[in-house]
Amino acid sequence: MEYFSLKRSSDLNKGQTNLSSKVYVRSTKSGKVQKIVRELYLRRDIPCSSNLCRACLEIAPTDYSKKVAPFVLSDTPAGSKNFPNGQYLVPDTNAFLTGMDLFEVETAFHDVIILQTVLEEVKNRSLPLYHRLIALTKNEGKRFYVFFNEFRQETYVARQVGETINDRNDRAVRTAVQWYNQHITDAVRARSKKQQRVPTVVMITDDRDNLRKAKADSIPALSLSDFVSGLENAEELLDMISAAQERREVRSTKAEVFYPEYFTMSKMMTGVKNSTMHQGIFNVSPYNYLEGSVHVPAFDKSLLVLGRENSNRAISGDVVVVEVLPKDQWKAPSTKIIEEETLNKNDNAEAEDGENVVSERERRALQDEVKRVHGQSAEGRPQPTARVVGIIKRNWRQYVGHIDRDSVRSSSKSSRQQQVVFLIPMDKRIPKIRIRTRQAGELLGQRVLANIDSWDRDSRYPVGHFIRSLGELESKGAETEALLLEWDVQYRPFPKTVLDCLPAEGHDWKVPASLDDSGWIGRKDLRDLLVCSVDPPGCVDIDDALHARKLPNGNFEVGVHIADVSHFVKPNNAMDKEASQRGTTVYLVDKRIDMLPMLLGTDLCSLKPYVERYAFSVIWEVTPDADIVTANFTKSVIRSREAFSYEQAQIRIDDSAQQDDLTNGMRTLMMLSKKLRQKRYDAGALNLASPEVKVQTESETSDPVDVQTKKLLDTNSLVEEFMLLANISVAGKNYEAFPQTALLRRHAAPPKTNFEELANQLKVKKGLELRVDSSKALADSLDKCLDAQDPFFNTLVRIMATRCMMSAEYFCSGTQAYPEFRHYGLASEIYTHFTSPIRRYADLEAHRQLAAAIDYEQLDPSLHSKAKLEGVCKNINVRHRNAQMAGRSSVEYYVGQALKGKDITEEGFVMKIFSNGFVVFVPRFGIESLIRLRDLSTPEPEAEFDAENYVLRVKGEVKRDIELFEKVSVRITDQIEESTGKRKVKLTLV
Amino acid sequence: MAPAQLQQVNLSPAELSYLRSTLSQTPPIRLDHTKGPRDFRSMRAEYDVLPGANGSARIALEDGLEALVGVKAEVERSQWRPTPEERDARLSVAAGDIDMKDEDDEDDNKGKGQNAWVEMSVEIAGFRDDDSLPVFLASMLTESLLASGELKDRLYINSRFHWKLYVDILLISPALSYPLALLSMTTHLALLTSRLPALKSERDEDPLFDDDWDASVPLYPKSKGKAAAGSPVDKPPVIVLAMAVGSNVIFDPCKEELAVADAVLAIACANSQSSPNGTRIVSIRTIDPPSHLTPPGVPNSMNSATGGVVPTSGADALTQRELLANSGVWTPPRGGMKRGLVGQVVKMVVEKGGVAEEVIDALQAIEVG
Repeated sequence: MEYFSLKRSSDLNKGQTNLSSKVYVRSTKSGKVQKIVRELYLRRDIPCSSNLCRACLEIAPTDYSKKVAPFVLSDTPAGSKNFPNGQYLVPDTNAFLTGMDLFEVETAFHDVIILQTVLEEVKNRSLPLYHRLIALTKNEGKRFYVFFNEFRQETYVARQVGETINDRNDRAVRTAVQWYNQHITDAVRARSKKQQRVPTVVMITDDRDNLRKAKADSIPALSLSDFVSGLENAEELLDMISAAQERREVRSTKAEVFYPEYFTMSKMMTGVKNSTMHQGIFNVSPYNYLEGSVHVPAFDKSLLVLGRENSNRAISGDVVVVEVLPKDQWKAPSTKIIEEETLNKNDNAEAEDGENVVSERERRALQDEVKRVHGQSAEGRPQPTARVVGIIKRNWRQYVGHIDRDSVRSSSKSSRQQQVVFLIPMDKRIPKIRIRTRQAGELLGQRVLANIDSWDRDSRYPVGHFIRSLGELESKGAETEALLLEWDVQYRPFPKTVLDCLPAEGHDWKVPASLDDSGWIGRKDLRDLLVCSVDPPGCVDIDDALHARKLPNGNFEVGVHIADVSHFVKPNNAMDKEASQRGTTVYLVDKRIDMLPMLLGTDLCSLKPYVERYAFSVIWEVTPDADIVTANFTKSVIRSREAFSYEQAQIRIDDSAQQDDLTNGMRTLMMLSKKLRQKRYDAGALNLASPEVKVQTESETSDPVDVQTKKLLDTNSLVEEFMLLANISVAGKNYEAFPQTALLRRHAAPPKTNFEELANQLKVKKGLELRVDSSKALADSLDKCLDAQDPFFNTLVRIMATRCMMSAEYFCSGTQAYPEFRHYGLASEIYTHFTSPIRRYADLEAHRQLAAAIDYEQLDPSLHSKAKLEGVCKNINVRHRNAQMAGRSSVEYYVGQALKGKDITEEGFVMKIFSNGFVVFVPRFGIESLIRLRDLSTPEPEAEFDAENYVLRVKGEVKRDIELFEKVSVRITDQIEESTGKRKVKLTLV
Repeated sequence: MAPAQLQQVNLSPAELSYLRSTLSQTPPIRLDHTKGPRDFRSMRAEYDVLPGANGSARIALEDGLEALVGVKAEVERSQWRPTPEERDARLSVAAGDIDMKDEDDEDDNKGKGQNAWVEMSVEIAGFRDDDSLPVFLASMLTESLLASGELKDRLYINSRFHWKLYVDILLISPALSYPLALLSMTTHLALLTSRLPALKSERDEDPLFDDDWDASVPLYPKSKGKAAAGSPVDKPPVIVLAMAVGSNVIFDPCKEELAVADAVLAIACANSQSSPNGTRIVSIRTIDPPSHLTPPGVPNSMNSATGGVVPTSGADALTQRELLANSGVWTPPRGGMKRGLVGQVVKMVVEKGGVAEEVIDALQAIEVG
C-alpha cells in the first residue's frame, strides 16, 4: 500500500534543513488561547558583519540600490589581558539586563554582537532596556551589530526533548559564539596566510552553568564582572552593574522576609475585572513618605495606602493593584509631616539583621495618626484605605540624589573597598536606595545618578546601582543637570542627523526675492502690513506678531502672524522626530533647552524685526465691539516693523504724542483686547493665579542678584487675548476639517470633591462661600473672596483654587465626545495650541493640520492616524508637565541662591496646617516652605491641633495660635537641606 | 436508521447467497480469505498531522477509506451554575419543586463538565452536513465520547471557565464502506495525542497559560507508574463494529460483507479503570444492516419462466419464501439478533485480550512507538 505522510516537517524529510518551525501558545487580550506554529526558513546569507570577512560581503543581501549594508564590526577590535588579539563580545541576556549602563559607557564595550536570541529575550524581559539596546545599535561609534542567529542555518538550534527554553537559548548563544570563532578564523586565513592576529569572539555571561558548559566545549567565555575587572577604571564600571542578580545569590539562604508576597498576575487581573481589586498609579504624599494614594475609577476620592507594609515595595509612579481594607481600618489623610530622614536616620546600610519593615518610630508616628481620626470635620473623615497586592508595571527611572554621609563606613578616598551605602534621592517621595560602591569616599558630597534594580521581600529598602556622578552638590552645573534628569528633559546637543535637516544656506537663508519661487506658491504677500511683535525683554525666539487696521466699513482687520515652522520642519524627518520627542522648549532661569536647533528657533523662524519672514497668518474682520465677522487663515510673508518688550509697548501706547500708524494699530489692538477679555470673563473664564517670580541675574556669570514677582502689564494681556483668539479659531477650523484627528487641548472640569477642602476652609475661617457648579460660578465667587485688610488674600485663594483644578491636556479629537472638548479655565468650547510652534510641538502639528485644512499642502499620513496622534499627545502632555516642573525647580534653586547669606524678614501667609507644623507662602519670593513645630523652639513645643477650625495652638514658651490664611512675619535665611543636599530657604516665625 | 445513502453493493442475489453461505460456515471464510473473523483490515495511521491543532490523526485503510481528525480547544466562559448545595438552598424556599428537575439535567450534573463542551462535526465527501449519515455518525461518536463522563470533566478549568473542544472529523475518501469504526479509531488517536496549554493561574482566576507548548499537558494524562509508563490511565472510547451471520460473528466487516449481515452491532468501549486488563462498554447500538435493502432472489418455484407458479398475492409470496429460507435462494435477512449472540459478541469485545483491548492497545502503540 502506497503511503504519503501529511506531515510537513517530520523526520522523514531530514534532508530539508532550511525549514524549521517553532511552536508556542499565545493568549490574546480577549481571552483566547491559541497554539501558534511559526515556520522558520533558515538561510545562509546573513553576514557576520565583521570587516575582516570578505566571504560574507559577497553573499550579504543587497538593498534596492544593490548595496550591501556597511559592515559594523571593526577589523582591529580592542584587545584585553585575556585576549590580546582583540575581541568581539557576545553578551547573553542577563549581561544586558544587569549591565546595560556598562554597555552604554562610551569608553569601553565596542564591537559587540547582539544575538537575535538575546535581543528577543531582552525585549520580553524589559521593554525600556530593549529600547536602550536598540538605541545602542544605532550608535555608529559603539559598533553594536545584531546578528540574526535564529535565521542562519549554521547557528540555528532546535530545541531538544525535555530541554527548557532557557537552556535552549543558552545553547543557541554558545553555538553562535562557536560558529563566529570558526568563521572569523577562516575569514582571517582566507585574507592572508601570514596574518596571525585573529580576534576572539567572547561570550559574556553570569550564568555559572553556561560558563561551565562553555568551558567544556572550549568556547571563550567570561563573566561580566571578570571582564570588567580587566578594563581600565574598573572600579567605576563595576559599580554600574545592577545589584539585582548578585544579591539573589548571596542572600538566597536567608529566610526572613519583610513584605508580603505579590499576587500572581492572573489573580490580580481577575480581581481587577471583578472589581474586588483596583488598578491605579501609586503616588506618595510629598509631606508624608508613609502615605501613598492610588486614584482608581471606582472611588471618587483616592484610596489611601498607609505605611510601608501596605505600600509593599511600591515606589511612587508604579502602576499597582490594590485591595481595599475593611472599613474599620479606614483612616483620614494625614495631617502630620513625616519625613524619612528624621525617622530612620540611623539605619545601617550594610546590615539587614534586626530590621523591621515598620520601625518602632514609624509605628508610633502612624499611631498618632489613628488617634486623631475620630475628628468629625470634613477633612478628617475617614477615607477608604487599601494595601498594595501587586505591581502591574514598575515605572522606575534614574534617580538623582546624594550619598547619605552617615551610611558610609570608611570615607577615605583611597580605600577601594566595596561598601553598601544609602543614596537619598532628591525626590522626597522615593525611598532611600541601597547601593554597593567601591568609591564611597569620592562620591560623598556629589550629586549622583543611580538606578533602582530590585526590591526583594527580604529587604527594607530597594537596591540599586550607581550610574555616574554629576558633580559637586550645590554647583550650578550639577544642580542644573540634576533637575533636567529628574524631569527627564533631553538636554544633549542635537545629533548630526538632526542638524542635517536644516536649510543649507544657514543664517544666510532669506525669503526668496522672486515671487515665482516655489516658496511663494500659496503664500500671501503681507509685507506691507504694519506688523510688530510684543514679547518679554530679551526674547529671541519670537513666535508671534500682530497687526490691526481700520477697514473702510468701520470694522477692523486684525492679524496674528505665527512663525511658519512647519515650512522648515517636515514631518517624519530626523528633526521632526527629535522635536516630537522633546515636545517643548524648557526654560530654566539661566538656560533654555530648545526643542528645535538654534538656527531655526532664534533666526530663520523667529519673526525678527526689519527682515522678511515666512509666517502663518490668522486674519479676522472684527466689529468695533470685538465681534468676529470672518476669520481667514493663510500662509504669508511678513516684515515685522518692530519688536517691542511688554514695557516698551506699554510706554508707546500710553504716550499720546506718538500718532503713527503702528502705534495707532497697537491702540486698536489694546481696545479690542480689553473687550475680548471682558467677553471671556462674562462667559465664565477663570482668572487664576500661580506664584510667579522672576530671578534677576548678573549678565556675565548669571549669578542671581534679586528676586521679583512678575509684573503684569496691559500689553501682556493684549498679546494673550489675541493668542487665545487665534488658538480658538484654529481649533475650530482644524476640527471642522479633521473631526477624527484634530490635535486639540482640553481642560476638564474639576470634580466637586477637589474643592471640598478649600470651600470648607473658606467657610470656617472667613465665612465665604465658594461655589463650584460651573466655571462661571467659581469665577464669580472667587471675585468675592476679598479681605478688606489684605489685598493679597484674593490672590492666595486663587493660587489655592488653581491647585484644585485638573491639568489641561492635549488630545486627539476622535478620542473624546464634543462636550468633553471644553476648556474649563478659558470657558471655550474648543481650544488648541497654535501660536508657539518654535517652542511647542503641539503647535507645529496644529500648523500642519491647518495647512492641510486650507489646502495649502497634503496632510502627512502620521497626522491622519488616531493611534499615532494619541502617542504624540501622551508624550507632549508628559513633556509639557515636566518642563513646567523643571522650570519651577530651577526658579526654586535660584531663589535659594539669591537668598544665600541673606537674612530678611518678610510677610507670609499660612497655606496649610498640619498637627506638627504648617506651610507658609511668601509672595515676595514665591516660595512656599514648611515650618515644623520643632523649628519654633527646642525642645519641640506641645501643640493642640484643631482640625475643624484649622488652628494649631502652640503651647509652652511660644504660646501662639497659628491659623489658616493668617498673615505672619517670617524670617528668611538659607540653609542646606540635609535630605537633598540642596540649598533651601529656611523660614522661621518672628 | 439505515445508512441509506451509502454506496449500494452491486451483487446479484446469487452472489449474495454465496457470500452469506461462506460466511456462515465454521470457520467462516471471509471475502478476504486471509483474514479470520476477528481480523481488522490493515491500516496506516499517523498523528500530529495538523500542526495548528491541539491534536490530530489520520488513518487510511487498505481499501482506500481514509479519515482525518483535528481536535481544537478554545477557552470559553462558563455559564453560572449553582452547585447542588446552592441549588437546594434556593429551592427550599419553594419546597416540593424539587421533582421538577428533569432527567436530562440530572444526568448532566454528575460531574463538573457539561455535554455541550464537546462539539463534533463529521464531514463526508459527497454528503451535506444535514444528511442522515454524517448526523447519525456524529451522534454515535459524541454519545460514546460523552458516555463515560470523564472527558467533559477534564475540560473544566474553574467555575468560570472551561475548554470547549471541537472535534472535526473528515472522511477524505469517498464513503466506500461504512466508516463508523474508522472514524472512531481516528478520533480516538487524535484525542489520545491532544494536548492542552498548561494552566498557570489558580482556582477561580481568569485562566492564564504557559506559553511554552512543550509544557502543555495531554488531554488524557499519562500514568506515572512504572508498569504502564507512558500509557494514559484513561483513554477515549473506541467503537468496534461487529456483524452476525448465522451463528458466526465477524468483526470489522467490509462493504460486501455488510450486505449479507443478519445484524450489525456498534460497541463503544473504553478501558476500564478498575482492572488494568479488559475493557468496559460505554455504549452499544444495533445498526440497521444494508442487507435489508438487497433485492431478493426469485426461486425457480416462483418463476414462471422456469416452470414455477407466480404467487397470486403478496402474502402468498411471503409464505412461500419463508419455506425456502434455507434453500440457498437469497432472501434479505429480517434483522433481529438472539440474546445469546449479543452476549457472545459483547464477551468477545470486552474480555481480557478481547477485540477492544487489542484495538486500544494497537492505537496506543502508535503514539508510544
